[in-house]
Amino acid sequence: MNFKKSDHAALIRLIADEDTGALEELYARYTRLVFSVALTIVNDHSVAEEVALDVFVHVWRGAATYRPERAKVSTWLVAIARHHAIDILRRQRARLDAKSLNLDDISLVGDSNTADPEESAELTSQREYIRGAVAQLPAEQKQALILAYFSGYTHQQISELLEQPLGTVKTRIRIAMQKLRQLLLQEDEPSDKSEDAQVAYPIDGKE
Amino acid sequence: MLKDNHVLESIPAYVLGSLGDDEARLVAEHIRVCYLCRKELDAYQIVADQLSLAVPDVPPSVELKSRLMERIQSLKNKPVSRFEGWRLPRRLIPAGILAGLLLIVLLAFSNLLLWQRLKNLDVLTGPLGMRAIALQNTDESPGASGFVIVGADGQNGVLVVDQLPPLDEAHEYQAWLERAGTYTNGAIFSVDKSGYRGVRLTAPESLLKYSSVQVTIEPAGGSEAPMGRQVLTGSLFNP
Repeated sequence: MNFKKSDHAALIRLIADEDTGALEELYARYTRLVFSVALTIVNDHSVAEEVALDVFVHVWRGAATYRPERAKVSTWLVAIARHHAIDILRRQRARLDAKSLNLDDISLVGDSNTADPEESAELTSQREYIRGAVAQLPAEQKQALILAYFSGYTHQQISELLEQPLGTVKTRIRIAMQKLRQLLLQEDEPSDKSEDAQVAYPIDGKE
Repeated sequence: MLKDNHVLESIPAYVLGSLGDDEARLVAEHIRVCYLCRKELDAYQIVADQLSLAVPDVPPSVELKSRLMERIQSLKNKPVSRFEGWRLPRRLIPAGILAGLLLIVLLAFSNLLLWQRLKNLDVLTGPLGMRAIALQNTDESPGASGFVIVGADGQNGVLVVDQLPPLDEAHEYQAWLERAGTYTNGAIFSVDKSGYRGVRLTAPESLLKYSSVQVTIEPAGGSEAPMGRQVLTGSLFNP
Protein backbone atom coordinates (compact mmCIF):
# COMPACT_ATOMS: atom_id res chain seq x y z
CA MET A 1 0.00 0.00 0.00
CA ASN A 2 1.26 3.48 -0.86
CA PHE A 3 0.97 5.64 2.27
CA LYS A 4 2.49 8.76 0.77
CA LYS A 5 -0.91 10.27 0.02
CA SER A 6 -2.56 9.17 3.26
CA ASP A 7 -3.47 12.01 5.58
CA HIS A 8 -2.07 11.97 9.08
CA ALA A 9 -5.26 10.88 10.83
CA ALA A 10 -5.70 8.03 8.33
CA LEU A 11 -2.19 6.85 9.12
CA ILE A 12 -3.03 6.75 12.81
CA ARG A 13 -6.13 4.67 12.08
CA LEU A 14 -4.01 2.21 10.09
CA ILE A 15 -1.47 2.07 12.91
CA ALA A 16 -4.31 1.23 15.29
CA ASP A 17 -4.86 -1.80 13.03
CA GLU A 18 -1.18 -2.70 13.49
CA ASP A 19 -0.08 -1.65 10.03
CA THR A 20 3.68 -1.30 10.30
CA GLY A 21 3.89 0.37 6.88
CA ALA A 22 1.72 3.20 8.19
CA LEU A 23 3.98 3.54 11.24
CA GLU A 24 7.02 3.76 8.97
CA GLU A 25 5.35 6.54 7.00
CA LEU A 26 4.42 8.43 10.17
CA TYR A 27 7.98 7.99 11.38
CA ALA A 28 9.33 9.38 8.10
CA ARG A 29 7.10 12.44 8.38
CA TYR A 30 7.63 13.30 12.03
CA THR A 31 10.74 11.70 13.41
CA ARG A 32 12.89 14.79 12.92
CA LEU A 33 10.37 17.01 14.65
CA VAL A 34 9.90 14.59 17.55
CA PHE A 35 13.63 14.02 17.91
CA SER A 36 14.43 17.73 17.65
CA VAL A 37 11.96 18.60 20.40
CA ALA A 38 13.35 15.85 22.64
CA LEU A 39 16.94 16.90 21.94
CA THR A 40 16.20 20.54 22.72
CA ILE A 41 14.85 19.49 26.09
CA VAL A 42 17.24 16.77 27.25
CA ASN A 43 20.33 18.04 25.38
CA ASP A 44 21.64 14.50 24.98
CA HIS A 45 21.56 12.73 21.64
CA SER A 46 21.13 9.19 22.93
CA VAL A 47 18.51 10.13 25.53
CA ALA A 48 16.62 12.10 22.86
CA GLU A 49 16.63 9.02 20.62
CA GLU A 50 15.19 6.95 23.45
CA VAL A 51 12.46 9.55 23.90
CA ALA A 52 11.71 9.47 20.16
CA LEU A 53 11.56 5.67 20.23
CA ASP A 54 9.20 5.76 23.18
CA VAL A 55 6.97 8.27 21.39
CA PHE A 56 6.50 6.03 18.36
CA VAL A 57 6.07 2.91 20.50
CA HIS A 58 3.45 4.83 22.45
CA VAL A 59 1.73 5.70 19.17
CA TRP A 60 1.84 2.04 18.13
CA ARG A 61 0.24 0.95 21.39
CA GLY A 62 -2.15 3.85 21.81
CA ALA A 63 -3.14 4.85 18.28
CA ALA A 64 -6.72 3.88 19.01
CA THR A 65 -6.88 6.53 21.73
CA TYR A 66 -5.94 9.37 19.36
CA ARG A 67 -8.79 11.84 18.90
CA PRO A 68 -8.36 14.05 15.84
CA GLU A 69 -10.94 16.52 17.11
CA ARG A 70 -8.68 17.38 20.06
CA ALA A 71 -5.31 17.83 18.38
CA LYS A 72 -3.46 17.54 15.12
CA VAL A 73 -1.18 14.53 14.83
CA SER A 74 1.94 16.72 15.01
CA THR A 75 0.60 18.38 18.19
CA TRP A 76 -0.14 15.00 19.72
CA LEU A 77 3.31 13.61 18.93
CA VAL A 78 5.11 16.70 20.15
CA ALA A 79 3.08 16.80 23.38
CA ILE A 80 4.04 13.20 24.14
CA ALA A 81 7.70 13.88 23.32
CA ARG A 82 7.86 17.10 25.32
CA HIS A 83 6.26 15.70 28.45
CA HIS A 84 8.28 12.52 28.34
CA ALA A 85 11.52 14.46 27.88
CA ILE A 86 10.69 16.95 30.63
CA ASP A 87 9.89 14.04 32.94
CA ILE A 88 13.37 12.68 32.33
CA LEU A 89 14.88 16.10 32.78
CA ARG A 90 13.10 16.68 36.07
CA ARG A 91 14.24 13.34 37.37
CA GLN A 92 17.80 14.05 36.45
CA ARG A 93 17.52 17.36 38.31
CA ALA A 94 20.93 18.23 36.99
CA ARG A 95 19.67 21.35 35.34
CA LEU A 96 18.16 22.64 38.56
CA ASP A 97 21.69 23.59 39.47
CA ALA A 98 22.21 27.00 37.93
CA LYS A 99 25.93 26.37 37.63
CA SER A 100 25.36 23.47 35.27
CA LEU A 101 23.11 25.44 32.95
CA ASN A 102 24.78 27.66 30.43
CA LEU A 103 22.19 30.32 29.84
CA ASP A 104 24.10 31.58 26.81
CA ASP A 105 23.27 28.29 25.11
CA ILE A 106 19.55 28.90 25.37
CA SER A 107 18.57 29.55 21.82
CA LEU A 108 16.01 28.04 19.53
CA VAL A 109 16.50 30.01 16.39
CA GLY A 110 19.40 30.95 14.22
CA ASP A 111 20.69 27.39 14.09
CA SER A 112 21.34 25.71 10.80
CA ASN A 113 18.17 24.05 9.63
CA THR A 114 18.06 21.89 6.59
CA ALA A 115 14.71 21.12 5.09
CA ASP A 116 13.52 17.59 5.65
CA PRO A 117 12.37 16.14 2.32
CA GLU A 118 9.83 13.91 4.08
CA GLU A 119 8.30 16.79 6.03
CA SER A 120 5.19 18.31 4.49
CA ALA A 121 5.47 21.78 2.96
CA GLU A 122 2.78 22.96 5.39
CA LEU A 123 4.76 21.82 8.42
CA THR A 124 8.00 23.27 7.05
CA SER A 125 6.28 26.60 6.47
CA GLN A 126 4.74 26.52 9.95
CA ARG A 127 8.13 25.85 11.50
CA GLU A 128 9.72 28.73 9.63
CA TYR A 129 6.96 31.08 10.72
CA ILE A 130 7.11 30.20 14.39
CA ARG A 131 10.90 30.46 14.38
CA GLY A 132 10.53 33.94 12.97
CA ALA A 133 7.95 34.82 15.59
CA VAL A 134 10.13 33.59 18.48
CA ALA A 135 13.10 35.48 17.02
CA GLN A 136 11.13 38.72 17.35
CA LEU A 137 10.86 38.38 21.14
CA PRO A 138 13.28 40.37 23.30
CA ALA A 139 16.11 38.17 24.60
CA GLU A 140 14.99 38.17 28.24
CA GLN A 141 11.43 37.16 27.33
CA LYS A 142 12.68 34.43 25.03
CA GLN A 143 14.98 33.12 27.73
CA ALA A 144 12.23 32.92 30.35
CA LEU A 145 9.85 31.32 27.86
CA ILE A 146 12.35 28.66 26.84
CA LEU A 147 13.22 27.83 30.44
CA ALA A 148 9.52 27.37 31.17
CA TYR A 149 8.51 25.44 28.09
CA PHE A 150 11.58 23.44 27.13
CA SER A 151 13.21 22.96 30.51
CA GLY A 152 10.09 22.49 32.57
CA TYR A 153 10.94 25.08 35.19
CA THR A 154 8.32 26.81 37.30
CA HIS A 155 8.16 30.59 37.68
CA GLN A 156 9.82 30.27 41.05
CA GLN A 157 12.68 28.15 39.73
CA ILE A 158 13.26 30.50 36.81
CA SER A 159 13.29 33.42 39.19
CA GLU A 160 16.01 31.74 41.27
CA LEU A 161 17.94 30.61 38.21
CA LEU A 162 18.02 34.03 36.60
CA GLU A 163 18.22 35.88 39.92
CA GLN A 164 15.29 38.02 38.90
CA PRO A 165 12.21 38.94 40.96
CA LEU A 166 9.34 36.46 40.64
CA GLY A 167 7.00 39.17 39.34
CA THR A 168 9.48 40.06 36.59
CA VAL A 169 9.66 36.45 35.43
CA LYS A 170 5.87 36.11 35.41
CA THR A 171 5.51 39.29 33.40
CA ARG A 172 8.17 38.30 30.87
CA ILE A 173 6.54 34.95 30.24
CA ARG A 174 3.04 36.40 30.01
CA ILE A 175 4.05 39.16 27.61
CA ALA A 176 6.06 36.73 25.47
CA MET A 177 3.05 34.44 25.13
CA GLN A 178 0.76 37.38 24.35
CA LYS A 179 3.13 38.53 21.60
CA LEU A 180 3.39 35.07 20.10
CA ARG A 181 -0.38 34.78 20.15
CA GLN A 182 -0.70 38.04 18.27
CA LEU A 183 1.91 37.00 15.72
CA LEU A 184 0.22 33.66 15.16
CA LEU A 185 -3.15 35.34 14.77
CA GLN A 186 -1.62 37.57 12.10
CA GLU A 187 -0.49 34.45 10.28
CA ASP A 188 -4.02 33.06 10.37
CA GLU A 189 -5.76 36.30 9.38
CA PRO A 190 -5.80 35.82 5.58
CA SER A 191 -7.76 32.62 6.03
CA ASP A 192 -10.00 31.68 8.94
CA LYS A 193 -10.54 28.20 7.57
CA SER A 194 -7.53 26.77 9.31
CA GLU A 195 -7.90 23.61 11.34
CA ASP A 196 -7.00 25.58 14.42
CA ALA A 197 -9.27 28.56 13.82
CA GLN A 198 -10.76 29.75 17.07
CA VAL A 199 -14.47 29.56 17.75
CA ALA A 200 -15.92 32.91 18.75
CA TYR A 201 -17.57 32.99 22.13
CA PRO A 202 -20.53 35.08 23.29
CA ILE A 203 -19.82 38.59 24.57
CA ASP A 204 -20.94 37.74 28.08
CA GLY A 205 -18.50 34.86 28.11
CA LYS A 206 -21.11 32.32 29.13
CA GLU A 207 -22.08 29.10 27.47
CA MET B 1 -11.72 29.85 43.35
CA LEU B 2 -14.97 31.51 42.48
CA LYS B 3 -16.27 31.32 38.97
CA ASP B 4 -16.10 35.08 38.53
CA ASN B 5 -12.47 35.32 39.65
CA HIS B 6 -11.06 34.83 36.19
CA VAL B 7 -7.56 33.46 35.82
CA LEU B 8 -6.76 35.04 32.46
CA GLU B 9 -3.35 36.31 33.54
CA SER B 10 -2.25 32.89 34.73
CA ILE B 11 -3.33 31.00 31.64
CA PRO B 12 -0.19 31.58 29.51
CA ALA B 13 1.96 30.15 32.30
CA TYR B 14 -0.54 27.35 32.92
CA VAL B 15 -0.25 26.03 29.36
CA LEU B 16 3.53 26.21 29.62
CA GLY B 17 3.38 24.19 32.84
CA SER B 18 5.31 26.82 34.78
CA LEU B 19 2.85 27.50 37.58
CA GLY B 20 3.44 26.00 40.99
CA ASP B 21 1.23 23.05 41.96
CA ASP B 22 -1.21 25.05 44.09
CA GLU B 23 -1.72 27.79 41.52
CA ALA B 24 -2.04 25.25 38.70
CA ARG B 25 -4.72 23.43 40.67
CA LEU B 26 -6.69 26.65 41.20
CA VAL B 27 -6.50 27.46 37.50
CA ALA B 28 -7.60 23.93 36.56
CA GLU B 29 -10.57 24.13 38.93
CA HIS B 30 -11.62 27.50 37.58
CA ILE B 31 -11.32 26.47 33.95
CA ARG B 32 -13.69 23.59 34.53
CA VAL B 33 -16.50 26.03 35.33
CA CYS B 34 -15.59 29.10 33.27
CA TYR B 35 -16.24 29.18 29.56
CA LEU B 36 -14.36 32.44 29.00
CA CYS B 37 -11.15 31.21 30.62
CA ARG B 38 -11.46 27.82 28.90
CA LYS B 39 -11.56 29.52 25.50
CA GLU B 40 -8.56 31.60 26.49
CA LEU B 41 -6.81 28.40 27.52
CA ASP B 42 -7.58 26.83 24.13
CA ALA B 43 -6.09 29.85 22.36
CA TYR B 44 -2.90 29.79 24.41
CA GLN B 45 -2.63 26.03 24.13
CA ILE B 46 -2.33 26.50 20.37
CA VAL B 47 0.47 29.02 20.95
CA ALA B 48 2.30 26.57 23.23
CA ASP B 49 1.84 23.73 20.75
CA GLN B 50 3.29 25.88 17.98
CA LEU B 51 6.26 26.77 20.16
CA SER B 52 7.58 23.25 19.78
CA LEU B 53 7.95 23.86 16.07
CA ALA B 54 10.62 26.50 16.73
CA VAL B 55 13.24 23.97 17.76
CA PRO B 56 16.34 23.58 15.58
CA ASP B 57 15.83 20.78 13.09
CA VAL B 58 18.19 17.92 13.90
CA PRO B 59 17.91 14.45 12.37
CA PRO B 60 18.31 11.36 14.57
CA SER B 61 20.75 8.61 13.65
CA VAL B 62 19.76 6.43 10.71
CA GLU B 63 19.77 3.37 12.98
CA LEU B 64 16.86 4.73 14.99
CA LYS B 65 14.28 3.52 12.49
CA SER B 66 15.55 -0.05 12.53
CA ARG B 67 15.59 0.02 16.33
CA LEU B 68 12.00 1.18 16.32
CA MET B 69 10.87 -1.49 13.88
CA GLU B 70 12.67 -4.17 15.90
CA ARG B 71 10.86 -3.05 18.99
CA ILE B 72 7.53 -3.01 17.17
CA GLN B 73 8.21 -6.47 15.78
CA SER B 74 8.91 -7.77 19.27
CA LEU B 75 5.62 -6.29 20.44
CA LYS B 76 3.82 -7.96 17.53
CA ASN B 77 5.47 -11.30 18.26
CA LYS B 78 4.11 -11.49 21.76
CA PRO B 79 2.12 -14.72 22.22
CA VAL B 80 -1.51 -14.39 21.23
CA SER B 81 -4.50 -16.19 22.59
CA ARG B 82 -4.79 -19.72 21.30
CA PHE B 83 -8.37 -18.93 20.39
CA GLU B 84 -7.29 -16.21 17.98
CA GLY B 85 -8.17 -17.15 14.45
CA TRP B 86 -11.08 -19.33 15.49
CA ARG B 87 -14.04 -18.78 13.25
CA LEU B 88 -17.70 -19.64 13.74
CA PRO B 89 -19.18 -21.67 10.85
CA ARG B 90 -21.29 -19.39 8.66
CA ARG B 91 -24.55 -21.32 9.29
CA LEU B 92 -24.13 -20.85 13.04
CA ILE B 93 -23.57 -17.09 12.89
CA PRO B 94 -27.20 -16.09 13.72
CA ALA B 95 -27.19 -18.43 16.72
CA GLY B 96 -23.81 -17.05 17.71
CA ILE B 97 -25.09 -13.48 17.57
CA LEU B 98 -28.09 -14.42 19.70
CA ALA B 99 -25.90 -16.20 22.22
CA GLY B 100 -23.57 -13.20 22.28
CA LEU B 101 -26.42 -10.79 22.97
CA LEU B 102 -27.72 -13.05 25.73
CA LEU B 103 -24.27 -13.16 27.26
CA ILE B 104 -23.98 -9.36 27.13
CA VAL B 105 -27.34 -8.97 28.91
CA LEU B 106 -26.34 -11.50 31.56
CA LEU B 107 -22.97 -9.83 32.09
CA ALA B 108 -24.56 -6.39 32.34
CA PHE B 109 -27.05 -7.69 34.91
CA SER B 110 -24.36 -9.41 36.95
CA ASN B 111 -22.20 -6.30 36.77
CA LEU B 112 -25.07 -4.23 38.10
CA LEU B 113 -25.55 -6.60 41.01
CA LEU B 114 -21.83 -6.68 41.63
CA TRP B 115 -21.60 -2.89 41.58
CA GLN B 116 -24.41 -2.61 44.12
CA ARG B 117 -22.75 -5.11 46.43
CA LEU B 118 -19.41 -3.38 46.09
CA LYS B 119 -20.77 -0.13 47.40
CA ASN B 120 -20.28 -1.35 50.95
CA LEU B 121 -17.20 -3.48 50.47
CA ASP B 122 -13.55 -2.78 49.76
CA VAL B 123 -12.80 -6.27 48.44
CA LEU B 124 -15.29 -8.77 47.10
CA THR B 125 -14.23 -12.29 46.18
CA GLY B 126 -16.44 -14.24 43.82
CA PRO B 127 -17.08 -17.99 44.02
CA LEU B 128 -14.50 -18.76 41.32
CA GLY B 129 -11.80 -16.58 42.81
CA MET B 130 -12.40 -13.41 40.82
CA ARG B 131 -11.87 -10.35 43.00
CA ALA B 132 -13.17 -6.80 42.85
CA ILE B 133 -11.39 -4.09 44.84
CA ALA B 134 -12.89 -0.67 45.54
CA LEU B 135 -10.44 2.21 45.24
CA GLN B 136 -10.42 5.22 47.55
CA ASN B 137 -10.51 8.72 46.11
CA THR B 138 -8.20 11.49 47.32
CA ASP B 139 -8.53 15.22 47.95
CA GLU B 140 -7.62 15.69 44.29
CA SER B 141 -10.76 13.89 43.18
CA PRO B 142 -13.31 13.90 45.97
CA GLY B 143 -16.16 12.76 43.71
CA ALA B 144 -14.29 10.01 41.89
CA SER B 145 -14.69 6.29 42.36
CA GLY B 146 -13.03 3.25 40.89
CA PHE B 147 -12.79 -0.52 40.98
CA VAL B 148 -10.16 -3.02 39.99
CA ILE B 149 -11.49 -6.40 38.94
CA VAL B 150 -8.92 -9.19 38.76
CA GLY B 151 -9.33 -12.71 37.38
CA ALA B 152 -8.74 -15.70 39.66
CA ASP B 153 -5.28 -16.42 38.22
CA GLY B 154 -4.23 -12.76 38.24
CA GLN B 155 -3.44 -12.79 34.52
CA ASN B 156 -6.23 -10.39 33.60
CA GLY B 157 -7.52 -7.28 35.27
CA VAL B 158 -9.71 -4.32 34.53
CA LEU B 159 -9.77 -0.84 36.05
CA VAL B 160 -13.08 1.01 35.94
CA VAL B 161 -13.22 4.66 37.00
CA ASP B 162 -16.06 7.12 37.26
CA GLN B 163 -16.35 10.86 37.93
CA LEU B 164 -12.66 11.55 37.35
CA PRO B 165 -12.18 15.08 35.96
CA PRO B 166 -11.43 15.06 32.20
CA LEU B 167 -7.87 16.27 31.59
CA ASP B 168 -6.42 18.58 28.97
CA GLU B 169 -4.62 17.04 26.02
CA ALA B 170 -1.24 17.39 27.67
CA HIS B 171 -2.15 15.02 30.50
CA GLU B 172 -3.45 11.50 30.96
CA TYR B 173 -4.29 9.29 33.88
CA GLN B 174 -1.85 6.50 34.63
CA ALA B 175 -2.55 3.42 36.73
CA TRP B 176 0.36 2.06 38.74
CA LEU B 177 0.83 -1.37 40.28
CA GLU B 178 2.98 -1.16 43.38
CA ARG B 179 5.09 -3.79 45.09
CA ALA B 180 7.71 -3.08 47.76
CA GLY B 181 7.93 0.54 46.72
CA THR B 182 8.45 -0.29 43.05
CA TYR B 183 5.87 0.99 40.59
CA THR B 184 4.90 -0.69 37.33
CA ASN B 185 2.80 0.98 34.68
CA GLY B 186 -0.59 -0.73 34.43
CA ALA B 187 -2.48 1.50 32.02
CA ILE B 188 -2.54 4.99 30.57
CA PHE B 189 -5.92 6.42 29.85
CA SER B 190 -8.22 9.39 29.58
CA VAL B 191 -11.86 9.62 30.58
CA ASP B 192 -14.96 10.73 28.77
CA LYS B 193 -16.92 13.87 29.60
CA SER B 194 -18.62 12.16 32.52
CA GLY B 195 -15.29 11.03 33.90
CA TYR B 196 -15.89 7.35 33.08
CA ARG B 197 -13.49 4.84 31.58
CA GLY B 198 -12.86 1.10 31.68
CA VAL B 199 -9.35 -0.02 30.81
CA ARG B 200 -7.44 -3.29 30.88
CA LEU B 201 -4.58 -3.52 33.37
CA THR B 202 -1.42 -5.03 31.95
CA ALA B 203 1.69 -5.99 33.86
CA PRO B 204 4.73 -8.20 33.26
CA GLU B 205 3.71 -10.44 36.15
CA SER B 206 0.50 -11.75 37.67
CA LEU B 207 -1.57 -8.97 39.18
CA LEU B 208 -1.74 -11.09 42.33
CA LYS B 209 1.90 -10.25 42.99
CA TYR B 210 1.25 -6.54 43.47
CA SER B 211 0.18 -5.04 46.76
CA SER B 212 -1.57 -1.84 45.72
CA VAL B 213 -2.86 0.15 42.78
CA GLN B 214 -2.74 3.90 42.33
CA VAL B 215 -3.99 6.28 39.69
CA THR B 216 -2.11 9.53 39.12
CA ILE B 217 -2.23 12.43 36.68
CA GLU B 218 0.79 12.30 34.39
CA PRO B 219 1.95 14.03 31.22
CA ALA B 220 0.38 12.64 28.02
CA GLY B 221 2.08 9.41 27.12
CA GLY B 222 2.65 8.48 30.74
CA SER B 223 5.65 8.59 33.02
CA GLU B 224 8.22 6.02 34.00
CA ALA B 225 7.33 6.44 37.65
CA PRO B 226 4.44 8.21 39.41
CA MET B 227 5.25 11.92 39.43
CA GLY B 228 1.84 13.56 39.36
CA ARG B 229 -1.03 14.00 41.75
CA GLN B 230 -2.75 10.88 43.03
CA VAL B 231 -6.49 10.61 42.39
CA LEU B 232 -7.34 7.02 43.36
CA THR B 233 -5.64 4.40 45.47
CA GLY B 234 -6.35 0.98 46.92
CA SER B 235 -4.78 -2.15 48.39
CA LEU B 236 -4.81 -5.20 46.20
CA PHE B 237 -4.03 -8.49 47.85
CA ASN B 238 -1.45 -7.77 50.52
CA PRO B 239 -2.99 -4.94 52.53
